[in-house]
Amino acid sequence: MRELLVSLLRSEPAQGQRTKGTSVFWILSGTASGLLLMGWLLPWFVNAYSAGVGYSAQDVTVSPPTGVGTVLIYILAVTMVVLVVSPLAEVLVPRLRGRRFGRTADRIRLIAALAGLALTAVIWLLVSVIQEEPLFGSMGPGTFTDSAVWLTMYGYALAALVYGARPWVVGRQTLAFGVAVLPFGLFLPLMFHQAPDFLLWAAGSLAIYMLLALGLNVVVGFAGLLDLGYAAFFAIGAYACASFASPIHSIHLPLWVLIFVGAAIASTFGAILGAPTLRLRGDYLAIVTLGFGEIIPDLATNNVFNLTGGPNGISGIDQPKWGFLDFGASPRWYYWSLLLVSIAVVVLFRNIERSRVGRAWVALREDEVAAASTGINTTTTKLLAFAIGASVSGLAGAFYGSLVSIVSPDDFSFSVSIAVLSIIVLGGIGNIVGVILGSFILTFVIFWVLPNMNQWSTTLSQTVHVPALANIDFTSYTYIIYGIALILMMLLRPGGLLPSRARRIELESTVEGESLAAVQGVA
Amino acid sequence: MSTNGLSANGEQLSASAPGADAGKVIELREIDVFYGRVNALSKVSLEVRQGEIVALIGSNGAGKTTTLRTISGLISPRSGEVRLFGNSVRGLGAEHIARLGVGHAPEGRRLFSRMTVRENLDMGAYSRNDRTGIRTDLERVFTLFPRLRERASQLAGSLSGGEQQMVAIGRALMSAPKVLLLDEPSLGLAPILVDAIFEVIREINSKGTTILLIEQNALLALKTASRGYVLETGSVALSGPSAELIASPDIQRAYLGM
Repeated sequence: MRELLVSLLRSEPAQGQRTKGTSVFWILSGTASGLLLMGWLLPWFVNAYSAGVGYSAQDVTVSPPTGVGTVLIYILAVTMVVLVVSPLAEVLVPRLRGRRFGRTADRIRLIAALAGLALTAVIWLLVSVIQEEPLFGSMGPGTFTDSAVWLTMYGYALAALVYGARPWVVGRQTLAFGVAVLPFGLFLPLMFHQAPDFLLWAAGSLAIYMLLALGLNVVVGFAGLLDLGYAAFFAIGAYACASFASPIHSIHLPLWVLIFVGAAIASTFGAILGAPTLRLRGDYLAIVTLGFGEIIPDLATNNVFNLTGGPNGISGIDQPKWGFLDFGASPRWYYWSLLLVSIAVVVLFRNIERSRVGRAWVALREDEVAAASTGINTTTTKLLAFAIGASVSGLAGAFYGSLVSIVSPDDFSFSVSIAVLSIIVLGGIGNIVGVILGSFILTFVIFWVLPNMNQWSTTLSQTVHVPALANIDFTSYTYIIYGIALILMMLLRPGGLLPSRARRIELESTVEGESLAAVQGVA
Repeated sequence: MSTNGLSANGEQLSASAPGADAGKVIELREIDVFYGRVNALSKVSLEVRQGEIVALIGSNGAGKTTTLRTISGLISPRSGEVRLFGNSVRGLGAEHIARLGVGHAPEGRRLFSRMTVRENLDMGAYSRNDRTGIRTDLERVFTLFPRLRERASQLAGSLSGGEQQMVAIGRALMSAPKVLLLDEPSLGLAPILVDAIFEVIREINSKGTTILLIEQNALLALKTASRGYVLETGSVALSGPSAELIASPDIQRAYLGM
């Protein structure tokens, strides 16, 4: 059983030569397969699907599609065997992992992907030009026919990229990841233009979680300081936004000013917390930060200095409106600004990671004494990590406050700190790409899987006639699911899905120090 | 650029040093060091002059490593004064002292084991900005230890003990130190490697770098050094030119096993 799970999670054979950069390749090809599967299943589950994203889910019916759309289904069925099943076979059947097989298969897959892309586009164009009948026969309002087509086409395009340019994807994995994911991010609001705002709202939350995870990654991943109260800085940023852009103190600053204000205030608090506590290490530092994370929401609850509005929090936070950029009207503007900010933060952090400060953090994490004797100012370097991490959290907090328009102490509980920590553990501590991936997966679980679990089990209970299934309330098991996921991760891939270089080295080198050969070579 | 090929750091300090202290690179004036309530060093005075190799010998727990850590600012003395290049360094942290030109190859090597050899050496030059100077010094380290050139892209933690010691000394040299503190460079090495390391130490010194050396192997240390200090339970028991120390009956009995 464990072997099976390991082989499912590890793309390469456990023993033997590890090829570089294959994880991103398999993630992208898996995503392509997933999108194609989604596009394929969508027409059937379209009602259930829309029920999941914010519609009331009174009666979920599963009806087979009719109309021109069925042609699409048949094309998809053929290409899917090539694009979804064959790579899966390559992963799961060891004998098929040969290089020769890969090259020919990749060519076939590329052709299949391009053909699928072209045919889908043609059919869709025909249908939207002719407009005689809906793509999938008759379906109620608020369905996702356009989104289904877009998702399918994106899946094909991704498959074409991944299989057509496999050496490039493997060689320049970060760039490839960016090229593959960025258009999806940019066009998401357009692809789901028929979807309710909930989807974009969830995407905005994803971006906020991602910013939080990127910031915490600086503290925990780069500098190696365990921070269990990270949500405190998030709260500080959100309350800063709420105080300066709401009727509570009659101050109304624009959001683009507030994100810097939030970041500045949070990083000041980061330094204030950091200065006296950075002598502490490991567990002790974790406990102090844990306490800090409890104190801040408590202060907010107690309405400290009459600033925070007590347990009810602050409501009526301004949502910016500059001409047609009406943030209150549609969350898509939040989404796009958050995307922009996230990209900026990712680029910035990649550069910091490779800068002098980044190297100093690595040295500090490895050996503090040695770092000090090479001339690294340990205190300043650690404080910098805390301040930078906190500033991103404050920035995310300002966005959060503006997006939801109300902040209250409950939004910044310990569970937020743990969720963010889980993201970076899941994705890979210290690896920016891993952290991004982790935030995608965890937000997907939080906003999609968990809310829909009850729905799915009800559907399943009706299908398989097991009434007990309908009575399980999965929402109350959120933390159990979290916990199980984390335990499985630690057992199977302790470095996270995409381990950072340092983690990989630590986990792979079983025999540290002197090998017999090295000693003999010297003597 | 100084004569030894290593570019000088903190030149302004030695330039401004008063005449009486000229030539004194390290001077400890009656320092007391405590670990909690344990008195590790009491009234230790010691001086190292420009261009010397000075050996610090003594049994385990005598305070040799503590002395070195006090000089490089990793520990602060409770009383007494540490003077480097003629100036007091009271209140300066380890990173400032490193920038003054004190290179410390600490006990147990303390490499960044998950960085490559090359990255470890680069970390040694962390506080320097002169790219050409760093490049010539890297070349110099690779000339002193040709083995490190071969292993440049290998992880430091995967090297043999001798190679790790080379990286430790190389990393200290990369800061272009005027004085090098070496803590047991021979620890855990095969005899043939010990000789090789000491050969390099003499070579580094011949190019103008002052060296303060801790060594278990007292005879080897005294033969390499021009002067020596003998530490016993936290204070200086004996000091003098190496030849005199080697000739002393006490030393011969206690440390040289004669």
